[in-house]
Amino acid sequence: MLRLFKYTAGLLAALPLAAAAQLGSYNPNPGPQGTFAIRGGHVVTVSGADIPNGTVVISGGKITAVGASVAVPSGAKIIDATGLMVYPGMIETGSSVGLSEIPQGAASTVDISEVGSFNPNAQAFFGIDPHSAHIGVARVVGITTVVSRPTGGIISGQAALINLAGDTPPKMAVEPRVALVMQLPRSGFGGRGFARAAALQQGQNVDANRVRQAQLDSLRDLLRDAAAYEKAQAAYAKDKSLPRPAHDVVLASLIPALDGTMPVVFPADRATDIRDAVNFAEEMHLKPIIMGGADAPAVASFLKQHNVPVVVTAVMSLPSREDDPYDVNFTIPAKLAAAGVTFAISTGNPGSEIRTLPYNAGMAAAHGLSKADALKSVTLWPAQIFGVGNLMGSIEVGKMANVVVTTGDLLEAKTDTKYLFIDGRQVPLDNKHTELNALFKDRP
Amino acid sequence: MKSLIALLLPAALAAQQAPPAAARVAPTLIRNATILTVTKGRLENSDLLLENGKIARIGKNLSAPAGAQVIDATGKYVMPGIIDPHSHTMIDAVNEGTLSVTSMVRIRDVLNPTDINIYRQLAGGVTTINVLHGSANTIGGQNAVVKLKWGRDVDEMLFPGAPPGIKFALGENVTQKNSQQVEQATGRPVRYPATRMGQEEVLRDAFTRARDYKATWDDYNARVAKGEKNLVPPERNLELEPLVEVLEGKRFVHAHSYRADEMLMLLEVAKEFGFTVKTLQHGLEGYKIASEIAQAGTGLSTFADEWSYKIEAYDAIPYNTAILMRHGVVATVNSDSDERARRLNIDAAKMMRYGGLTEDEALKTITYNGAVQLGIQDKVGSIEVGKDADVVIWNGDPLSVYSTAQTTFIDGEIFFDVQRDQAMRERMAKERIALEAADRAGRRTSPVVP
Amino acid sequence: MPSNHRTPAPAAPPARSTLRALVPVLASALAAAPAARAQLGTAHSRRAPDVFAITNAKIVTGIGPAIERGTVVVRDGLIAAVGGAVQAPADARVIDGAGLTIYPGLIDANSSLGIGPEGATTTAAATRGGRGGGRGAAPAQQGAPLAAPNSIHPVGLQPELAAADLVHPEDDAFDGPQSAGITTALTAAPTGIFRGLSALIDLNGANAQAMIVKAPVAEHIGFVAQRGGGYPGSLLGVFAALRQELLDAQHYAAVQAAYAKNPRGMHRPETDPSLEALQPVLSRQIPVIMEASSQREIERALDLAKEFSLRPIIAGGEEADLVAARLKAENVPVLISLNFPRRPQASPDADPEPLRVLRARVDAPKLAAKLQAAGVKFAFEDGRLTNWSDFLANAGRSVDAGLTADQAVHALTAAPAEIFGVSDRLGTIETGKVANLTVVRGDLFGGRVTQIFVDGTPVDVRTPQGSAAANVAAGTWTVTVTLDEGEKPVTLALQQAGDQLRGNIQGALGSSQISNGSVDGSGVVQFTASVTMVAGTEEAKFSGTVAGNTIRGTVAIVGHPQGTFVGSRPGRGGRGAPPAAR
Repeated sequence: MLRLFKYTAGLLAALPLAAAAQLGSYNPNPGPQGTFAIRGGHVVTVSGADIPNGTVVISGGKITAVGASVAVPSGAKIIDATGLMVYPGMIETGSSVGLSEIPQGAASTVDISEVGSFNPNAQAFFGIDPHSAHIGVARVVGITTVVSRPTGGIISGQAALINLAGDTPPKMAVEPRVALVMQLPRSGFGGRGFARAAALQQGQNVDANRVRQAQLDSLRDLLRDAAAYEKAQAAYAKDKSLPRPAHDVVLASLIPALDGTMPVVFPADRATDIRDAVNFAEEMHLKPIIMGGADAPAVASFLKQHNVPVVVTAVMSLPSREDDPYDVNFTIPAKLAAAGVTFAISTGNPGSEIRTLPYNAGMAAAHGLSKADALKSVTLWPAQIFGVGNLMGSIEVGKMANVVVTTGDLLEAKTDTKYLFIDGRQVPLDNKHTELNALFKDRP
Repeated sequence: MKSLIALLLPAALAAQQAPPAAARVAPTLIRNATILTVTKGRLENSDLLLENGKIARIGKNLSAPAGAQVIDATGKYVMPGIIDPHSHTMIDAVNEGTLSVTSMVRIRDVLNPTDINIYRQLAGGVTTINVLHGSANTIGGQNAVVKLKWGRDVDEMLFPGAPPGIKFALGENVTQKNSQQVEQATGRPVRYPATRMGQEEVLRDAFTRARDYKATWDDYNARVAKGEKNLVPPERNLELEPLVEVLEGKRFVHAHSYRADEMLMLLEVAKEFGFTVKTLQHGLEGYKIASEIAQAGTGLSTFADEWSYKIEAYDAIPYNTAILMRHGVVATVNSDSDERARRLNIDAAKMMRYGGLTEDEALKTITYNGAVQLGIQDKVGSIEVGKDADVVIWNGDPLSVYSTAQTTFIDGEIFFDVQRDQAMRERMAKERIALEAADRAGRRTSPVVP
Repeated sequence: MPSNHRTPAPAAPPARSTLRALVPVLASALAAAPAARAQLGTAHSRRAPDVFAITNAKIVTGIGPAIERGTVVVRDGLIAAVGGAVQAPADARVIDGAGLTIYPGLIDANSSLGIGPEGATTTAAATRGGRGGGRGAAPAQQGAPLAAPNSIHPVGLQPELAAADLVHPEDDAFDGPQSAGITTALTAAPTGIFRGLSALIDLNGANAQAMIVKAPVAEHIGFVAQRGGGYPGSLLGVFAALRQELLDAQHYAAVQAAYAKNPRGMHRPETDPSLEALQPVLSRQIPVIMEASSQREIERALDLAKEFSLRPIIAGGEEADLVAARLKAENVPVLISLNFPRRPQASPDADPEPLRVLRARVDAPKLAAKLQAAGVKFAFEDGRLTNWSDFLANAGRSVDAGLTADQAVHALTAAPAEIFGVSDRLGTIETGKVANLTVVRGDLFGGRVTQIFVDGTPVDVRTPQGSAAANVAAGTWTVTVTLDEGEKPVTLALQQAGDQLRGNIQGALGSSQISNGSVDGSGVVQFTASVTMVAGTEEAKFSGTVAGNTIRGTVAIVGHPQGTFVGSRPGRGGRGAPPAAR
């Protein structure tokens, strides 16, 4: 394996048995939470007006001052951003970063889907490999935070919202349990696990529509059991004279979703699937987030009426129908914006290609979305949808210091990143790709 | 006299003798654009005249010929049509994967000119694609270079005079390491070759047989030339004929490959048999052996930034293109995807970020260099007088994510235009209503048959 | 006999329909006398008169204007007289034709009738067992390819396979076509690439030989890849294999000629029945009937024919109007399929049908009139339809769409007779021609076929029993494809014609037309589609089975682990309740 960085040896010493080391660790660690003053750059705050020649002060992990004429604290490290642009870090909410390194031919690097249909207690937080090479590669385009989620089954598990810096999951995590992921059995057929396996094995006599009904019934039963469980535990907590109810980790893990404190991500692209998911969520008192949303414009008024946000992962997907206009997916965000639906833009990619996030937003801007909204759709809006709008997503005093300093427009492909701060730490811009580039670019 | 002939000719024959479509197209004058010539830099506030299917003039304040359509392109950009050197668009079959050598199969036979992806790619500024056989076997099928003339017959879409090529494939897709469970499930034996060693053997064996085949025919032709009579010609072998063409330098090899070692292996085999590999396709680790590739005179066509989707793609880096170009390799960015083919302009822009290509160099990776790799650089790939009028008007700098193609010309004809597209949507909506009504009305009850 | 072909009895019993008509057969029964005796357990066969006269009928002779009120006399299997002033002979059985119209016997210009049981597409196949199996035995042999004896080429690439050797009368195999007024059909093996030599057969007869009007008629080519993993496994390989075999045949002729001239010093060339069979094809003595529907399929077929100077006939021809100028210029007839696309059962939440599919359905009846206007020669064929009432109904829809009734009758009678070189025997009602007649109460397009005469033998028609194998896979399916990249919801619209599947896939994998689709009688389906995933555009090979309203199977993509697909179509009772119904 190629290891050029001097820090690598120290890192390996610190993690003597780290399984991740089998593929190497390519992500240099961020520095300490210092005090920085980024001066002279064009500050795009996202939440407010741009500051053409502004200063952003970072200290103790937070943004402590923003403005055209703010005092630079003594001892602050000065970052000269003259001629550069200053943005909040982008947030990719449709990924599975750290759960799947090489999806084909290296099954042992893929920990993205648990077996069985119902895994509400499977937590991405415990499966994320902080040394995934995808992390270092993605953050240099200015993605500072991601939602990483498990997939598969009917209840896939719990997603984590993490910063893309840190050598352990706890150091990366902003919200270790940010959302439950639930794949409603589809119209036609869907979901994985016992029901489908059984259907496939039994072969001839299983009607797919009936299997789907059975899956839905099982899902409803599980959620009702969890609600009863919560009620029984609460009653016992109040009144110990009641019989002590047994504990159950699966049912317990569903309580935040039933309480409405944890949103539920429903992957759904087709109009019927989106409607079904929203109706199901309301029936079960869940707080839905639609992920995918290819047909979301067709049900925009429904989404608006039910106040359901959408993570649009389909901007760069091919039109799903032969007669669709060529730009039908490019224009999804513009149509949702016009209809007043809350949305974020995501690549929907597990990890290696999330670095194309800005171009997804850029493509939406090329097709009717305003440039300002395009930027919001990968910064402030995803933060708000996942309940961390008060923590990140814009350059505002008090927010987490996830800041990227670039040579130009954040969403342009030719733009390069000059400085990167995550959680108030300066992050080196080296990664697996720069390492290999350095190793071979001048090879005679 | 002429009219008499016309009367005598059957209608169909007359139609065949009509001038080619391009000659009937009115000239187009594009005014006051920023022209990205690719080979001769950027021309501000310039005009471009398309006439008789060719780029007729480039300059300032050109006068419009009679009957020309004039397009005001103030604030707009014009660039050559994008060339995608690796495509599987518009085919009814991709792989003939039953054998390890399928040089006898031809993409030409399975082209589908009605594939909607053609139109979608036109809307992304693509005008020429290299349609390749898949990567299921060491020696795959013969390619087809196609101009995306949406709505036309296959014959009119084939790129006139493009040298023929053939697809090779090395590495994981051929050894089937990722799909072996299919074999296990079906109980069929694992197909040979299952290693990169076996791939070398398949190549060596095929070209050895091709040499013998050529010798057999050379002997026969020599005897005929000497005047021998009553000779029975040797059998024709459609598997070996294209390989003989490769040996003779008449057919380009486009070789799917990922790892540096397998690419070197192919270059060695080619050297031994005396031919040049025209391009390495994907060639994700090409940057590790850039000098060797340059020395072999071989080009390379790669992804802008795809990586990590399988083991052999784990060391792929977006700096690949830049490193190769700095070493003198003719390098291109390709799509290999109906989806990515629609936004190769963005992929080209990434090459400025990763490796610092200039604007012209970045544009070359999706235009001129592709033309070189396909042997059609005299006709397309840059905006120069005399070249085919395959150009695209963009509403902004095509290297910006915020820009979109507005009008796509091939041989001087418009095959995509944003305004026309809007009109087409209305037509399609009306047609659907009419068809659905006719469909309902047309279902008359079948007569009762006793 | 081919090893997997059921050997007919040395002499088959007289056809059931003949007996049912209560008319003893003369000519044919004589030929089959020993067998008939054995079957009936009688010591002698009746020699009843075979003279018939249909009087007072309208007669569409196919030559000149119709006779509004006239008589047709049938004697000894031939038309003895026809005309307005013809009297019924004294020895004739007289049928009062008041209200009836008599047409020349209809010809199905391309079919697989009488070829089974492997042929799985005939109605009879659904009720027959495999070799040695009794009635109702497991259909193990359905869809199995037909093989030529001692061929050195793989099954499916055996041009010597002769329909004349395969065809045999079955109890009810001909009920369907007879009910549609069909007296005569061109028949060939239903599967394979080189499908072999067809035979023109009359749909009634004591045995196979008695049924044959002309054989061989044409070499048949289908552009469908081999099933089961052998070369050619794709459309790409199909063309390469066809070319190589035709080239080999040319070389074979040269080698054989050289050996015949002077065998000394020359190694004896191997005899190859496949390459032998291609000689009359290459010398244009017999035409090639090429299955081709879409414009590009037709153009590919014509290109191949041109490459080897073959004499092509296009079968299917759904988009032949788009190639009309070329067909006319190259004098290529089209056998128009009357298996017009049907509106599929679709889930309410399925994607809307592409315009292309809608157009195909709406335009199908217009094709014949367009070819007529363009001067392209055409006849009608069954397109392997399974609902025989569609045959005349769809011919009638062609009349509604602009073809004249006379032109439609021509396309069902004289035109195929001419294309197949038998217009001296068949196709019109003229003295001396074979007494193949179709008798209709009322008009052919809208009336009711009451009786047919085949080789002078009257056959009462009866409605065929429902065919179980019909349109196993057709429909609009809501499908989930599970790949290494996750679950992809798609809509799969399938149309079925015999063992061939067409259609399109739309949804999360992009939209494409499927190709190389086939289905067998037991519901095993196969097709390929272009799919676009994260890593790129790939070719996906789907193999699965249809059971009831569920389709399931596996997906193979080069370089990817095997995926699966499962889907459903609406049942007769509609789809299940919506998931969140409250």
